[in-house]
Order: sequence, then structure tokens, then C-alpha cells
Amino acid sequence: MKSDALRGHLDALLLATLDGGQLHGYAIIEALQRRSGGALDLPTGTVYPALRRLERAGHVASEWSTVAGRQRRTYRLTGAGQRALSDERAAWREFTVAIEGVLGGGPWPKQA
Amino acid sequence: MAEAGVIERYVDELDGRLRGPAAVKADLLAEARDSLADAADSYRDGGLSPEDAERLAVEEFGPLAVVAPGYQAELAAAHAATMLRTVMVLIPLTYVLWELNRMFWIGPWSSFGGGPTPGWYKFVSQGNGYVPWIITAIAGVSLVAGRVLSRRGVSGTTLSRLGGRVAIGCVGLGVAFNLSVVIGTATLDAPRLLMPAPVLLAGVMFYVVFIRVGVLAKRCLALSAV
Repeated sequence: MKSDALRGHLDALLLATLDGGQLHGYAIIEALQRRSGGALDLPTGTVYPALRRLERAGHVASEWSTVAGRQRRTYRLTGAGQRALSDERAAWREFTVAIEGVLGGGPWPKQA
Repeated sequence: MAEAGVIERYVDELDGRLRGPAAVKADLLAEARDSLADAADSYRDGGLSPEDAERLAVEEFGPLAVVAPGYQAELAAAHAATMLRTVMVLIPLTYVLWELNRMFWIGPWSSFGGGPTPGWYKFVSQGNGYVPWIITAIAGVSLVAGRVLSRRGVSGTTLSRLGGRVAIGCVGLGVAFNLSVVIGTATLDAPRLLMPAPVLLAGVMFYVVFIRVGVLAKRCLALSAV
């Protein structure tokens, strides 16, 4: 999947990745690639500024910690981030239902 | 450990492209370096040579022209936030110090020559007392607005530019009222400006702080234009 198409959804994807618990940056990238079946083709260097942007927005919080013997900045969802993720999921479901209705290839509803 | 070289060169080049608060920059670069090392370790574990592993990690990280603007935007936003916090603390603190000095060395102000104080002078002198608190409120509201705008996807570059303009406005407001009081006092009763040295010094401190904030604001605009 091209990075241009992803850019608008990157924040939501990052929030969703952190939904399971706190992760450091590279683990977030690995999780994104794993959960997308490797389809997310994004320069990994764009993920870190995006995480900082989410932190600036108060959606994630971060701190340095030692993971597997290496110092890493780990990120976790805040309450505001959790709410933003719920909103993003609801909006995404609404969007996919609408697009599926048009592009899904099913029969067109009869005109009244 | 993969041989240092490709990753270090990449991080050095990224470092060379970025401008902003040194501590934030060091933190961002440390995170980038760690991530690249993690990726290289993973590829090396997968069977690549150390150099190839580093090269692939750097390739996946992205070209500097693509990656650097995102980092720069965060540096600019971090600078703007620090500047606004500085404004919030330093300007009221300087004002309180000046007021304490004035109360200790001069005491309450007396009226000019026994006559009534002109209305315009009352306006500027009272306004001058309120301005530090107005500036503090503006800086505080700007910080909150920055968070709200961040949630709406406004870039760090734009926030830095806005922060710089707000700070320049605050300095302009502060200097305008302060100079008005000085000029007004000089017009009505010039000898009154010959205050005890500690009070004058506290007054000069005001301008030192205003100049400092002005420099920080200018840097906000410069960082958002890198």
C-alpha cells in the first residue's frame, strides 16, 4: 500500500497499534507491518515524528526505558488517545460501510 | 553489533539538516539511531551481512528529504511550546520583582504636582499593570490552543509560526504600554524617572526579558521555515 494513501490514516493506525499496551517505536513499526500482513509500505522514519505529534496532541505519552538491554522510548495511549481511537474506529466503520455500498458490487437498491 | 557506518552517517546527515532545541533534537536522533539499530539487528539475524543490514534499515527508514521535514516540524513545535512557557513564567515574574522593588524603594505613587492625573496617563499606567497578566493569559491560552490544534492535525510548523507571531504580539503590547508610561511620566514629571538604582535595574530587566522573548519568537519563525 502506498505511503500517500496511508498518510491520512497514520495517526489512527498508530493509536490502534498501541491499544494493546505500551510499545517502543520499532515494536510499533513491527506491529504495523505484522498486522497489515506486510502491506503497509511506509518510510519507517515518518513514524517517529508522527508519534511525537500524537504526544503533542496528548493522545500518547512516552518515556525512556530499558527494553532488552537497550534504551528505548516507549509509548502508551492516554485517556484522550483511547477516546480518539474509538472515534477513529467509528468513523472508519461508517466510511467502509458507505464505500462498500457503492463499490462492493452488490445489486443496486431499486428506485422508489 | 552491526558495523557502525551507514547508520551513523545517515543519523549525522539527519542531524545536519535539523534545527531546534538541542535536548529535543538529541532525543529524537537517539530514538532514530536506536530504531535503525533495531532494524539492522533484525536483518542481520535474518542472515544479512552487517553492512547490508544497516543499508536496508536506512533504506526503509526513508530518504532524508522525506523524513527530515517531520522531525523539523516537531522541533519547531517543541521550541514554540518552550517559548510560550517561558513567556508565561518570566514576564509576570519580572513584573512582580519590579513592583516589589518599587514598593520597597519608592512606596506608593504620589499624584503629579498635586493636580488631577490625566485620564490618558491613568489608562496607560493601569494598562501597564495589567499587561503582564494579559500576556501570561495569552501564552497560556496559546498553549492550550496548540494542543487542540494538534488534535485537529495542524502541523508543528504551523504551530511554531503561530506561536512566534503570538509572542511577537505580546512583546509589542508589553513594550507599547511600558514605553507609553515612561514617555507619559517624562512629559508630566520627568524627575520622577530618576528612580533608585534597584528599581531602574528591575525596569531594565523587563526589556531584557522582552528582547529575549523577541529573539525566541524570531527563532520560532526561522525554525518553521527550515
